[in-house]
Amino acid sequence: MTPLPSSPMALTKPPSASFLKKRKSQTLSSPMPSAASYLSALSQADARARNQNNTGRSPTSTPALSLSSSVTSSSEDTVLYEDDREFDNVDGLALPARPPTSEQVFTTVHTEFGHCADERYRYTSAHVPDSEVPAHVEKDPPYYILFSTYISYLILICLGHVRDFVGKRLHPSSYSHLIPKDTCYCEALRYCGSSVLLPTTLLPFTRLFPKYPGLYTNQGNFSSQGYAPLNSDFDSFYTRRLKTRLDECFSQPVTGVAGRTIVLLDRISPDYNHTQILTGNRTRALNISSYNYLGFAQARGGCADAVEESIKRYGISSCGTRLTGGSNDLHVIGEALVAKFVGVEDALISSMGFATNSTIIPALVGKGCLVISDELNHASIRFGVRLSGAHVRMFRHNDMKSLESLLRECISQGQPKTHRPWKKILLIVEGLYSMEGTLANLPAILELKKKYKFYLFVDEAHSIGALGPHGRGVADYFNIDPRSIDILMGTFTKSFGAAGGYIAGSKALIDRLRVHGHSGAYAEAMTPAVLTQVIASMASIMGVGLPSMGPSSSTTTLRLSSSSSTANGNAIEEEYSHPGPAPPSSSRLRRLAFNSRYLHNGLNKLGFITYGHPASPIVPLLLFNPGKMNMFHRMMKDRQTPIVVVVVAYPATPLVTSRVRFCVSAAHTKEDVDTVLRACDEVGDVLDLKHGLERGKRWSVDMICERAVEVAAM
Amino acid sequence: MNATSTTLEPILDFLARTLTTAETTFNKLPGSAVIQRYVKSSHQNDPGRTILELILFIFAVRTLLQSRTRADKNFIQFSDKEVDELVDEWTPEPLAQSLTPQEENDLAAVPIISGPNGPKPKLASTGKTAVNLASYNFTGLSGNEEIKERAVEVLRKYGLGSCGPPGFYGTLDVHMELERDIADFLGTEAAILYSQGFSTISSVIPAFCKRGDIIVADRGVNFAIQKGIQISRSTVRWFDHNDLKSLEEVLESVEKERKKRRGPLTRRFIVTEGIFEKDGAMVDLPKLIDIKFKHKYRLVLDESISFGTVGRTGRGLTELYNVPASKVDMLIGSVANGLNSCGGFCAGSQIVVNHQRINGLSFVFSASMPALLSVAASEGINILRNAPSILATLQENTQAARAILDRLDCITIPSHPASPIIHIHVRNTKSSLHPATAATIVPSTKPSNPTSIMPKDAASWDWDIPAEEKLLQDVVDEALVQGVIITKAKRLRGQEMVDARPSIRLAMTSALTKKETEKAVNVVKSALVKVLGKRR
Repeated sequence: MTPLPSSPMALTKPPSASFLKKRKSQTLSSPMPSAASYLSALSQADARARNQNNTGRSPTSTPALSLSSSVTSSSEDTVLYEDDREFDNVDGLALPARPPTSEQVFTTVHTEFGHCADERYRYTSAHVPDSEVPAHVEKDPPYYILFSTYISYLILICLGHVRDFVGKRLHPSSYSHLIPKDTCYCEALRYCGSSVLLPTTLLPFTRLFPKYPGLYTNQGNFSSQGYAPLNSDFDSFYTRRLKTRLDECFSQPVTGVAGRTIVLLDRISPDYNHTQILTGNRTRALNISSYNYLGFAQARGGCADAVEESIKRYGISSCGTRLTGGSNDLHVIGEALVAKFVGVEDALISSMGFATNSTIIPALVGKGCLVISDELNHASIRFGVRLSGAHVRMFRHNDMKSLESLLRECISQGQPKTHRPWKKILLIVEGLYSMEGTLANLPAILELKKKYKFYLFVDEAHSIGALGPHGRGVADYFNIDPRSIDILMGTFTKSFGAAGGYIAGSKALIDRLRVHGHSGAYAEAMTPAVLTQVIASMASIMGVGLPSMGPSSSTTTLRLSSSSSTANGNAIEEEYSHPGPAPPSSSRLRRLAFNSRYLHNGLNKLGFITYGHPASPIVPLLLFNPGKMNMFHRMMKDRQTPIVVVVVAYPATPLVTSRVRFCVSAAHTKEDVDTVLRACDEVGDVLDLKHGLERGKRWSVDMICERAVEVAAM
Repeated sequence: MNATSTTLEPILDFLARTLTTAETTFNKLPGSAVIQRYVKSSHQNDPGRTILELILFIFAVRTLLQSRTRADKNFIQFSDKEVDELVDEWTPEPLAQSLTPQEENDLAAVPIISGPNGPKPKLASTGKTAVNLASYNFTGLSGNEEIKERAVEVLRKYGLGSCGPPGFYGTLDVHMELERDIADFLGTEAAILYSQGFSTISSVIPAFCKRGDIIVADRGVNFAIQKGIQISRSTVRWFDHNDLKSLEEVLESVEKERKKRRGPLTRRFIVTEGIFEKDGAMVDLPKLIDIKFKHKYRLVLDESISFGTVGRTGRGLTELYNVPASKVDMLIGSVANGLNSCGGFCAGSQIVVNHQRINGLSFVFSASMPALLSVAASEGINILRNAPSILATLQENTQAARAILDRLDCITIPSHPASPIIHIHVRNTKSSLHPATAATIVPSTKPSNPTSIMPKDAASWDWDIPAEEKLLQDVVDEALVQGVIITKAKRLRGQEMVDARPSIRLAMTSALTKKETEKAVNVVKSALVKVLGKRR
């Protein structure tokens, strides 16, 4: 029998334990007892399931708790489409390509979570034992592509400088924020009108030579110097002269659910992207850009129902920081569940993903410590490391040889100058890299860890939920004991359709971070609504009361208790299939695994250059030329079935390797991936993007779509 | 002989052929003639120069190819075996030391609320309801039914998470609406929304302040600001806590220094807080604005506590002092504290805001706020706008609390009378003052050193932090027994630039009536008297 997971804070305290016993018999109105009993039910079911598996019997999930099984609010879920103002299916997004048959229960809104009943289009995300973890290979394009890329940047930079030079002389007003200016001068212009304090005749001259406003304003009460520009024109050159050209692809306002489809608020720019004007029209587009790996971005269904209950019961805010009056029972439940899910002793929840790294890393390391960081680690990690004051060294992306030689050098040399030994060495890697789609080579890292005794911090921002047969991240994918990793960090934004992040590890460590991490004392606690989404979606992946979706889950639809007050605790008290060796029934995980592999291998077979691991739901497709980014984006968006994509360029990537980044979701159907592949095929031909395979080895897009199962298994 | 010549012949042949091809290709290159002519003429004039240039060329190539990382002179070459031994020998410190008993007790004493938080929540530990003077629920929006209804509507339209950073399909129309609402509410050109209040200012500061820029900051700024300043790598000068005279002196000294060094004009910022999180003091905004304009600094004002809590309708310090918010260059506020939702914002001019959309780290690299929280905040602004009575109640409650607490001898309160957070320090008894330090406590006229964050009188601080922490925790426990939740102000001792004096922090709320507030504060008072009275 697995012991009750040591739950954080008050749950472990004896007085509260007795309180739990007392309360349990009384009423279900408080979710505290339900949380505790839920956890014990979890561990019991887990133990049972493991025993059964050992004896070779098929694991039958036993109802953990007998509850009234009144299905309350899933009746609305059978609505096939939202009540759009003008509903049509011209873009082919609103209705499934293959309508569900009468036996199939179709319980999600197709635009949020696609209907895909075909059991062939499933796959299990797991590492093949004893096989090599593919290293990060940068496939090179032909030289003419590289050459033209460099030339394009050169032209852009030259043109930019010419435009700056001319523009500053002809339209100084649009450069006013880049040049030093005098306060009084500005104030005068703003408040008194331009003609009062300065002779109007002088004004044109101040505009002619804006760099030296002092020349014209040093009379009277104007002093000769004022404010330095808010950002220097050198610093902002890239933004103004290169990024502005691409602005069409960025910060697109949207509305509605960021699910399988997304509704764009159309915009136009009359002045070359300096201003964007919303036209008021909307376009529904296939969304292959949001971090919605498991498709939990839904406004209908079990999770949303649970959140609604939670809002009604708990309100919006948790009012304050975790340590000063902002903690509530949902935090306790959530943290215990996360710890259980990740498979470690304890966990800590923070209200923002970025802040999880930036506020926790400083509590782990400090002066005299060394942080070894992958060169492509996320900005939040760099931010946190910089705040910590620890010494940082970087190694080549996912290159284990580079890592080992760096480790040998650092340990043997000790601290710079003094050569004292390091207090501790923390290796920070990401489970799944958000720009490359590569997986951390965890087996190799753990080998090194044994020898070099560093501590390991794995940022699973993208991999948690998205990888592994049970969706428990990169450790699950490689079938590694999560407790062999010292610190596991992850976010809820991506797979769970919520917000915020967590840190998981040993109890002593997490308790320390509760007290010494910045967020506990100073940052606002996670709000109840978000917590509920986390709990409900995570429980659903664990197979505890699956929110209704797909035919395979129709037998285990989430049953909210009829008494609304208990909804939050009960949303997770359901039948439980153990997280042991057998793959769980969640079709979300298997759909995501299939879609990822299908898109990745399909693009490769079409001849594109892609990066990353085939199991990764992030699929980067290389574009190289800066001009192609805009074109690709627009051509995908202007199709009959509009597709929105994310293009990424310098500085998020190296200068030459501009790319499109697809984020596959479990919400996509096989037909959706077909649509993307067909679109890419056509656009790729026009833009000359197929440089990955020779012409003879490529497959046609029809062939790929037909043999999807085979492609995915490649 | 013949044999060697026959073996040599093809080699020579090959060499000759390569030479000619090399020559022809070189001649084909554009501009090759110029180089050829240059080399020829220089060689003719001075053969030694060719050799010198060749050496220079080789040297340049060598420097270019040399790896720049191994410039460290301190590097010691080890053999593989030695490295192995060193690796074996090295034992790291444990990743996390376990908590001290005191810290463990504090963690265990953290109140956990069961069910909804509000003015009278139920405690998870005892199951009893208690009056809440710990949580930030200043304007009582937390239990508001209208907001809940709106939130559910939004949930059914948008789902929960936004599933993307603002740059990549994470900008929802409701975010843009909230940004507009905040800007309208305050009267600035624009505003930008961050998804956590705490991370807002530590991201705003480095977005503008770079290496070489000058930040003049208050010595009492909160932890987030300290972190923002630390990461910006700007030159920092500190002025005495909430002392604008000291600020002017520092500004003058900075200017003098710049003139002496004839440095270029760099960006200069004054960073301070509206109501200080650390002690509840309030800055004299009109005077601060005057100083800022006089010395041509930009003002970064953190209104995380004051936004939504002071002013007629909760617009913050700018409303309280009737100063246009547009005069503050970067006005940072907390949506989480002020509007009972989550996140933070920075309001300012269009240029200031747009700059952050690309350079605000935690804006760019973080997922945007859930839609329903954003709408809840918009709704909160609506309520504040239309019901000034909320703020009046809050002020009344604050005054009522102060009326009770100010009369107590055993404590000191550094907070401004209008501040909705009230910090309570233990008053130093005479016996606790060391005789040696008591003599030196005569206020020195020497100004403090602006390069150090330590105040001039830091040497005479004689409070015993652990003892006071313990004492105050006893007060907190005692109040809880009497049914009032209060909390110590939590500090990250050791990580803060200056260790703040331990305090109890009361947070007032308009959700309690004046009578209820008085009753609760009286409980706090009696707890204080009971615990601190025992001490003597």
